[in-house]
Amino acid sequence: MVRGLGMAMAVGLLAGSAAAQRDAKSDDAIFRGRRLAMVEHHIAAEGIKDSATLHAMRIVPRHEFVPADFRDEAYENHPLPIGLGQTISQPYIVAYMTEVVRPRPGMRVLEVGTGSGYQAAVLAAAGAEVYTIEIFRQLADSAGARLRRLGYSNVVVRHGDGHDGWPDEAPFDAIVVTAAGSHIPPALTRQLRPKGRMIIPVGSVYGAQYLILVEKDAKGALRTRNLLPVAFVPMLSGLR
Amino acid sequence: MRVKAAVALLAAATLAFEILLVRALAIEHFHHVAYMAIGVAMLGVGASGALVATAGGVGPAAAKRWFPTVTLLAALTLIVTPALVDRVPLDLTQLAWNAKQWPRLGAVYVLLALPFALSALAILLAITLEGDRPGATYGASFLGSGLGALLAIGVLWIAAPTRALAIPALVGALAAAVAAWRAEVPVKRLAPAAATLALAALVVVRPVWRITPSPYKGLPQVAAYPDARRVAERTSPLGWVVAVDAPAFRHAPGLSLAYAEEFPEQIALFVDGEIAGAVTRWDTSGAHRAMAILEWLPTALPYSLGDRGRVLVLGAGGGMDVWTAVAHGARRVVAVELNTALTRVSAELAPLPTRATTGVDIEWIAGDARAIVARTRERFDVITLAPGGGHGATAGGVHALNEDFLHTTEAYEQYLRLLTPEGVLAVTRWVTVPPRGSVRTILTAGAALRRARPMAMQNGIVVARSWGTTTVLVKPSGFTIAELERLRAWASSRQLDLDWYPGAVAPEARFHIPDDPTLVRAARAAVTHPDSAHRFSAAYTFAVDPVGDERPYPHRFLRASSIAAMLDPGSTSLLPFAEWGYIALVATVVQSAILAAVLVLLPAALRRRVTRGRGGASLSLVAYFSAIGFGYMAAEIALIQHLTLLLGHPVYAVATALASILICSGVGSAWSDKLASRHARIAAVLLATALAIFAVVLLGLVHLLQPAPLVARAAAGIALLAPVSLLMGMPFPVGLRAFARDEHARLAWGWGVNGFASVLAVPLAALIAVETGSRVLLLTSAAAYLVAAASARRESGAGRPAPIEAHSSDPGNARAGDGDVVGPRPRRGGGAYDFFRRTTRSPSFTTALTSVLLLSKQMREILAMLGRYPTHVADSGKCRVAGGASSGPRSPIVLSGVHRHSR
Repeated sequence: MVRGLGMAMAVGLLAGSAAAQRDAKSDDAIFRGRRLAMVEHHIAAEGIKDSATLHAMRIVPRHEFVPADFRDEAYENHPLPIGLGQTISQPYIVAYMTEVVRPRPGMRVLEVGTGSGYQAAVLAAAGAEVYTIEIFRQLADSAGARLRRLGYSNVVVRHGDGHDGWPDEAPFDAIVVTAAGSHIPPALTRQLRPKGRMIIPVGSVYGAQYLILVEKDAKGALRTRNLLPVAFVPMLSGLR
Repeated sequence: MRVKAAVALLAAATLAFEILLVRALAIEHFHHVAYMAIGVAMLGVGASGALVATAGGVGPAAAKRWFPTVTLLAALTLIVTPALVDRVPLDLTQLAWNAKQWPRLGAVYVLLALPFALSALAILLAITLEGDRPGATYGASFLGSGLGALLAIGVLWIAAPTRALAIPALVGALAAAVAAWRAEVPVKRLAPAAATLALAALVVVRPVWRITPSPYKGLPQVAAYPDARRVAERTSPLGWVVAVDAPAFRHAPGLSLAYAEEFPEQIALFVDGEIAGAVTRWDTSGAHRAMAILEWLPTALPYSLGDRGRVLVLGAGGGMDVWTAVAHGARRVVAVELNTALTRVSAELAPLPTRATTGVDIEWIAGDARAIVARTRERFDVITLAPGGGHGATAGGVHALNEDFLHTTEAYEQYLRLLTPEGVLAVTRWVTVPPRGSVRTILTAGAALRRARPMAMQNGIVVARSWGTTTVLVKPSGFTIAELERLRAWASSRQLDLDWYPGAVAPEARFHIPDDPTLVRAARAAVTHPDSAHRFSAAYTFAVDPVGDERPYPHRFLRASSIAAMLDPGSTSLLPFAEWGYIALVATVVQSAILAAVLVLLPAALRRRVTRGRGGASLSLVAYFSAIGFGYMAAEIALIQHLTLLLGHPVYAVATALASILICSGVGSAWSDKLASRHARIAAVLLATALAIFAVVLLGLVHLLQPAPLVARAAAGIALLAPVSLLMGMPFPVGLRAFARDEHARLAWGWGVNGFASVLAVPLAALIAVETGSRVLLLTSAAAYLVAAASARRESGAGRPAPIEAHSSDPGNARAGDGDVVGPRPRRGGGAYDFFRRTTRSPSFTTALTSVLLLSKQMREILAMLGRYPTHVADSGKCRVAGGASSGPRSPIVLSGVHRHSR
C-alpha cells in the first residue's frame, strides 16, 4: 500500500509538473501577447520607428525584469520599482533612448546604471555589445544572473562606479546613462568614440522630463541637444 | 479653570503634532504629499462637529462625563497614529496605476484624521460644558495653539524628527491628566492619564515609529553607495540636515563638458533627504590646483569680466560659490545662508572658506538674503545666486508652490542697486525643457533693470547657456566691448553658448543646440519694450512672466487653465509637465471640498434639529461659520507671507506671526464673552475694513520697514498684527454663544462647519495666493468677513429682528434668545431640501456670490476648473519641498498654517 501511495504521489507530482509546464507556456504566450500590444500601442504608435529598436522591444521579456509582484503590470507603459529606490523605466522611454543611440550589430555600448538589466537586454537584442555598470552590488549581481539565465551573452555586467566609465573597454559607440546628476562625468565624454552618442534622462523617477543627447563629431568636438520625447510633444498644445 | 487649562494643553499638543507630522511626512515622502495628506486629514476637525450634530448634539451633563475620556483618547492617538501610519505599506509613486495603494491612502487619511477629530471633539465638549462663556474656553484653545506652534518650532531645534514627533503626546497626556483631575474624584481615576503620560515618556525615549526618507530620494541612494557612511546630522525647523561621505558622490552643478581634470573629495549634503549641495575638501596646499574645477562651473562666468574684488553670495550652502569667489581673486566676500544647520554641518566636515582658512575677508551671515540686501550699505562687484539643489527637482516642478522672495522683480531690483558702478548680478538656473525658469529669470532681470537703470536695457544683459544651466548676467552700467570679448572667449573655452549679449542679432548655438531659440526671443523681448516682454510671456506655453513680492511663486509655471488639459484622462503622458506641488494643492482642495460638503450636509439631511432653531436660518449659520473660518485662515496665510518678507526669516516670521495672531485672537476670544451678540457684526465689519486697508498698504509698509533692525521689525510686525488678530478672535465664540446653552446639535454643526471651512481654506487660500497674490487674498478674507457680517444679522440677531416668515406656524420659534437673538421661523418641512431652498433668498448668499464674482478673473478660472474636474486630480499628489539653502525656494516650517484649530 505504501508503494501504491508512493506511485500515486509520483504520478501526482509528474502531473503537477506537466501542469506547471503548461502554465509556464501559457504564461509566456499571454506575456508575449501583452508585449506585442504594448509595442504597438505605446511605442510604435507614439512615434518610435527604428526597426532594430522595435524588434528588440518585441522580443525582450520585460516581465522577467520586474519583481514578481509586478509581473502583471510588466507591459503597462509606466515605470516600476525594483528595490533600492531604483526603477525599471517606462517602456516608451527605454525604446526612445534605444532609438536615439541607434544600436546595431557590432556596436559597443556602455550603460551606466544597470538596474534590472532591461535596458541592457534591449540594447543587446538590437545587436549591440553591451557593457553595463551598476553601483549597487545587489542589483549588479541579480541583473547579471538574470541576463545570463535569459541567454544575453553579449552583455557584460560589472559592479562599480559609473562615474569613471569603463576605460578598459573604451571607446564606446554609444553611452546610455540612467539618470543625470549635477554634471556629465568627464570620463564618459572621453570614452565616447568620435561620431558616438550619449543619452541621459533628466527629471524625477516617475515622469522623465526630457533627455540630454551628447554627440561627439568626427573631430572629437562635443555638442548637446535637449530632447523632448516625441510622445510628449503633442501635449504642449494642450498647455497653451 | 481646569477645563480651560486642559483645552489649552490639548490645543498645544495637537498643533505641535500637526507641525511635526508635516515635517515627518515631508522627510518620508515629499512636502507636497505631506501637505495633501494632512490637508485632507485635518477634515477630522470638522467631522467631529458634524458627527455630534448628526447624533443630535451633546448636552452639558454628557459633555462633563465625556470630556476627560475624549481628551485621553486624543492624547493616545498622538502616539497610536504615527505608529500605525508607519506600518501602512503606502507607495505614493504607484498611486497612479496601482489600485492597491488607494485603500492604503484612505487608511492613512483616516488614521491621520483621528487625533484632529478627537481633539476638536474635546474642545467642543469643553465649550458645551462651559456654555455661558464660550469665548474664554475658545480663547484657551487659541492660546494653547500659539504655544503649541512655539513648542513645535523649539522642539525642531533640539530633537531629531523621529523623537520630536513624540513630544506632543507628552503634552496631550498632561491635558488628559488635567481634564481627569477633580477634587472630588478618587485618585485612581487619574490612572489612565498617568499611564498615557508614562507611555508618552517611553515613546520619547524609544520612538515606536521610524521616519525614513522615501527610497526615491537622494539620501537613501547615496547612503547605499559602496563605503558610504553618514558623517553628520543636525535638525532645525528649516529641515533635517544629513551629510554622507561616499567616495562615489561628486557634485559640480552644470560642470563644463570641456573639464577633463580630477574631482576633489566631496561629502553630500541633504536637507529632508534631498540633495542640497556638497562640502568639498579642497587641497589648498598645491596652489589651488584642486580648485581648478571651480573655473569650469557656470557660476564662474562673471569672474571672467576681470577684477571682482567684492562679492555677495546669496545662498552660500556648503560654501562652493564662496570658494569660487576666492579662487577668482575676491578680496571681500559676504556669504549669506539661511539654513544655519547646513553651514554648521559643512564647517564640521571641512574648513569653511573663512578669513582664517583663506586669508580673504569673508563674512558669513545667517539669515535671509532679502533682509540682508535691504539693510546692507556695502556695494559689490558681483552678486551671485546659484541654482542650488538638484536638477531633477527643478524639472519635476516640486518647488512650484514654494514662496521664494529671492527671484521676484523687487528682489532683482534691490540686488542691482547694491552693485558697484562696474558690478554685475549673476543668476544661474537649471535648464528645463521646454524652458521655464530661465525664461522667467531673463524677463525678471529685464523688468528689474528697466526699473533700476532704464538706459542700460540695450547693453546690460547677457545670457549664457550650458548643457544643463542658464546664467543671466545683468550689468546696470552696461557691458563694454572688451568685456564682451572676454565673456565670449571664456564661454567658448567652457563650451557655453552666449544666447544673448548687447548687439546680438541672431546668436548661433555652437555647443548646445536648442529646438527653438526661446531664450534669444525672451531676451530680445525683455530688452525691447515692456509690452514686447508682456506679449512674449502671454503667448508662451508656460507662465513665465516676472513675479513680484505680492505673488512670490517664481517656480510655478503651469497656467491654471493648463490643468484642464493635464487632467484629461486621455493624456496621462502629460504628467511630465505636471508641477506636482500645484496639482497636489488642487487635489487637496477638491478632496477636502467634496468630503466637507458631504459631512456638512449629513447632519442637515439626518437631523431636523440641526436645520431649525431660534439661532437663525440654517443657511445663515453655514454662511456665518464658514465665512469666518475661511476669512481667518486666508488672513492668517496672507499675514504670515508679509511677515516672512518683513522679518526675513521664515522661522522668526512663523513664530512671531503665530504667537501674535493666535495669542491675540485668544485674548479677543476671551474678551468676546463680555460683548453683546450684535457686536459680532461690528467686529466683522471692522475686520473687513482693516484687512482691505492691509491689502492696499501692507506690502508698501513691509518694504519701508525692511532696512530696520530685526527687533524693530518684529515689534512693528506684532504692532500691526495685534489689533487685527484681537478682532479675529471674536466672531467665532460670539457666534457659538447663540447655541451654547441649549441648542447643542446646532452648536456642533456650527463648530463642524467652521472646522471644515478653516481646513478647506488653507489650500484654497494658497491657491488664491499663487494665482492672484497676497493682495487679493487679503481682499478675499475681507469679503469673507463681510459675508459673516451679513449673516450675523440673523445668526446673532444684531440690529432689528429679522422678519418672521409668513408661512411659519410655530410661534415658539420666535422667542428672543441670547440677548436680542431673533431668527426667522423655520418651516416644518425642514431638512436638507429646506436648507437649499432658502439658499437663494438669503442676503448672506447674495453677499457671498457678489464677493466671489467681484474677485479676479483668475479666481473665476480656478473655480470653473474645479467645477469641471472634480475627480481626476486625486491620483496625483505632491506639493511642497523643503529647500535648504536660502538660494532655493523656502521651506515654510509651518506650511502656511494648516492649523488644527477651527476658527
